[in-house]
Amino acid sequence: MGKSWLRDYIIKRLIYTVIIAWGILTITFILVRVGPSSPADKYLANLAARGQDIAQIRAAIEARYGLDKPIYEQYVDYMGNLFQGNWGWSFSTSMPVTELIKSHWIYSFQLILLSSLFAAFLGILIGIYSAVKQYTKTDYAFTFLSFIGISIPNFWLGIMLILAFSVKLGLFKTYYDTTLPLFSLDNLKALVLPVITLGTGMLAGYVRYTRSAMLDNLRKAFVTTARAKGLPERTVIGKHVFRNAMLPLVTIIMFDLGSIVFGGAYLTEIIFGIPGLGQISFNAIFANDYPVVVAVTLIGTFIVLLVNLMTDITYTYLDPRIRYD
Amino acid sequence: MKKSGIFITLLMALLTLTAGCAKVEVKKGGTFIQGVSGGDAESLNRILISDATSASYYEHTVDSLATYDNKFNIQLRCLAKDVEVSPDGLVYTITIRDDLKWSDGSPATAEDYVYTLKNLMFSDWLNYPYKGDWQEEINGEKVFVTPEVVNATTFKITRQTVDPEFVYIIYDLFPYPKYIATKYEGDVKSFTEAPEFNNLTYTGNLGPYRFKEWNRNDRYVVEKNPEYYLGKDIGAPYFDQYIVKLFGTPATRQAALEAGDITYTGIEPEQANRFRNMGNIKVYTIPSGGCTLLAFNQRANGWEGLKKKSIRQAIAMSINKETITQSILLGFAEPAFSFIPSISPWYDKENTVKYGIGELYDKRKATEIFYQEGYGMKKEDGTIKVTKKDGDLLQLILATNQGSKVAEDIAFQVRRDLLTLGIETQIKLVPWSMLLRQFMENKVPGSDQEPRDNNGPEAVSQEAWDIMLLGFGSDVLAPSGSRVFYATDGGLNFMGYANPEVDNLFKQIKTKEALDKEFRKQIYAKLSLLLSDDLPVDFLLYHRSNLGFQKNVGGIDPGPSIGYNYHLWYFE
Repeated sequence: MGKSWLRDYIIKRLIYTVIIAWGILTITFILVRVGPSSPADKYLANLAARGQDIAQIRAAIEARYGLDKPIYEQYVDYMGNLFQGNWGWSFSTSMPVTELIKSHWIYSFQLILLSSLFAAFLGILIGIYSAVKQYTKTDYAFTFLSFIGISIPNFWLGIMLILAFSVKLGLFKTYYDTTLPLFSLDNLKALVLPVITLGTGMLAGYVRYTRSAMLDNLRKAFVTTARAKGLPERTVIGKHVFRNAMLPLVTIIMFDLGSIVFGGAYLTEIIFGIPGLGQISFNAIFANDYPVVVAVTLIGTFIVLLVNLMTDITYTYLDPRIRYD
Repeated sequence: MKKSGIFITLLMALLTLTAGCAKVEVKKGGTFIQGVSGGDAESLNRILISDATSASYYEHTVDSLATYDNKFNIQLRCLAKDVEVSPDGLVYTITIRDDLKWSDGSPATAEDYVYTLKNLMFSDWLNYPYKGDWQEEINGEKVFVTPEVVNATTFKITRQTVDPEFVYIIYDLFPYPKYIATKYEGDVKSFTEAPEFNNLTYTGNLGPYRFKEWNRNDRYVVEKNPEYYLGKDIGAPYFDQYIVKLFGTPATRQAALEAGDITYTGIEPEQANRFRNMGNIKVYTIPSGGCTLLAFNQRANGWEGLKKKSIRQAIAMSINKETITQSILLGFAEPAFSFIPSISPWYDKENTVKYGIGELYDKRKATEIFYQEGYGMKKEDGTIKVTKKDGDLLQLILATNQGSKVAEDIAFQVRRDLLTLGIETQIKLVPWSMLLRQFMENKVPGSDQEPRDNNGPEAVSQEAWDIMLLGFGSDVLAPSGSRVFYATDGGLNFMGYANPEVDNLFKQIKTKEALDKEFRKQIYAKLSLLLSDDLPVDFLLYHRSNLGFQKNVGGIDPGPSIGYNYHLWYFE
């Protein structure tokens, strides 16, 4: 009962989520469909070389997928089907959109989850250590390495890791093998290089943010009070300083999670041949495959909105003074 | 027929196996992994396919009627014997093998082929993209050819006009099983989504492999077809599985080959020598029919000078093709002079004017031509600077497709070459769809024409351009297909080129006289000579590709049709 305001807040936010998702879905649909490109464009080079009549073929291909109808008719059809659970037919992959997403989300999910855990766990630990040991050689070393980590492009790092650990040392396969069982050591091993590639930049960022947030709090009066009361240093750092430093960190971690869902993992997927949603959605954009583009945008929107909601809820536990009523 | 088919197969297998080293051991089995980058297929539903990747996936499971070896000799596949053409060139008799079967065991017959043509490919409801291949123009109207069943293994196709190269279209024909397709007839949505066609469950013994799995953007897997009509007596194909593995970049694809994670992939020019020096890799350099060229805009919104043959020749004389093929393509290309690729049996090197190399790479002479045509001024030192007629700086727009490093490098080389004459070139790198719509498609200003690639001589594109760098696919066996680019009314003549002599020569290819190959060869020689001198486009180069294989792959016959016998490849 004490937190009934939180339940009301969550319900309100979920209603907003649905409204915002519908708005984004509509805007995405319109943007994809009114753009100058046509799903037929990618056929045309080949057809042109065979001397076919491009205008006639473009019209034929658009008619095949119902793209010759007025835009509002397409929109009404699409929304009607969506509410019945039919997300449409992906014409760039020749399968139902739901099946496409069902069979590929897991590749992105495991990569994002493991990379985030790897980055958050190591990044926070190193950040705390750096802050506590401020201006020591170790702190300088971690600071230097974290700047390198932030600066290295994923693309370059991934290829270097492949060349060093796969081609030269033969420790890993050069690409991610989708035939490996999901819950197996082999699968975990196959994800080592992709996770390092995607996680390094995030890890370096978390080191910097954690160090900075910890240092801010270390200087505050309540820390001096805690120490004066004779609390052990571990309790001072863990319970008082770190808990206060968590608030901005949660925001940053959740923000990162949202960014990855919206394409941040794309380059890593490309480099390691991981057929995740990043690849699927980018290819769909280039193929003007609007059922896939709209579906992936919708899923991404829901994830970001839910992550934001979770962030807000986490705040209330980290800082009981926060209320949303 | 069946026996002779088996005899040919056995002989081919014997020749392949004994080629090179007599004691090579053929290991049946194993998984062959081909690495590709550049995007996944779109569909396995053959009639809806318009991209090369989708076609290549499908072709593992269903053979065409015939294919070609590296010397472009016909290799029969589903055909029992070569297509018979009547003396008047109007009736084609096609005899297929009698041992072709669908997956349910029923025979694949002439009825299936004719059904595929009449009810699917020629239908209005399905919108087959290559309908035009099966149409001819009668009294200004496009009409379909007439297919008819003769018996279970024979069917005829009758034309009203002669086209000696129509037979090459027939060789590429593929069948749909009538007993399945009738279920979906008339309903394009059902046909598009039909599980049998999207999962290739019907393909029987028609191809060396059977569909196993297609994980989008990841891998396409086919497994050995023990019933394959060409291989059941010799155990071919020899691999248990053939996997097409997709990569996002050439760098990772090549790293996978180097690490031994895949069996075969293409190699970029700059990496070819490094791979050649690796002990575990064999690299084959293969010529191709893909031509890169500079098209000149001869329409009203292009620079006026480009309408003159002498100016086009002067530009071609200023661009060094050796530099482009050697420095940019690192030797993995050859200078081009004709619309017919040098690997084509119709190519005649004597009948080309070779602009851009030797004596015809001459910038001084080029500037003199410009000057004589009124586009230049003499400097104090006697040299000529190319200018507009009023003496202003001549600026040209060179448009090309965005995203290809080779295309960008060539564009900048052309810019450098033209700058030495005094011509400033503005390079526009544009996405392919924009290049198609805004630069190539045209219409008569103020008219309500639907934009097309050739809307007549008065039509102009939305965006102005002068030179366009792009690739044209040249048909090695039927170069008359290039008519679409160079004939005045050619559907893809977006340049606005017009030469009645060229139009007439292309017409002669489609006459009864041209059924005689010698006659056709003479026409092609005349056309090649005429176009290489008149230069509606400046043919720059024909590409050579590098293909890298693990060294233990045997049975490969390297050449432009390297995959024609791939069911006989094996691990040593």
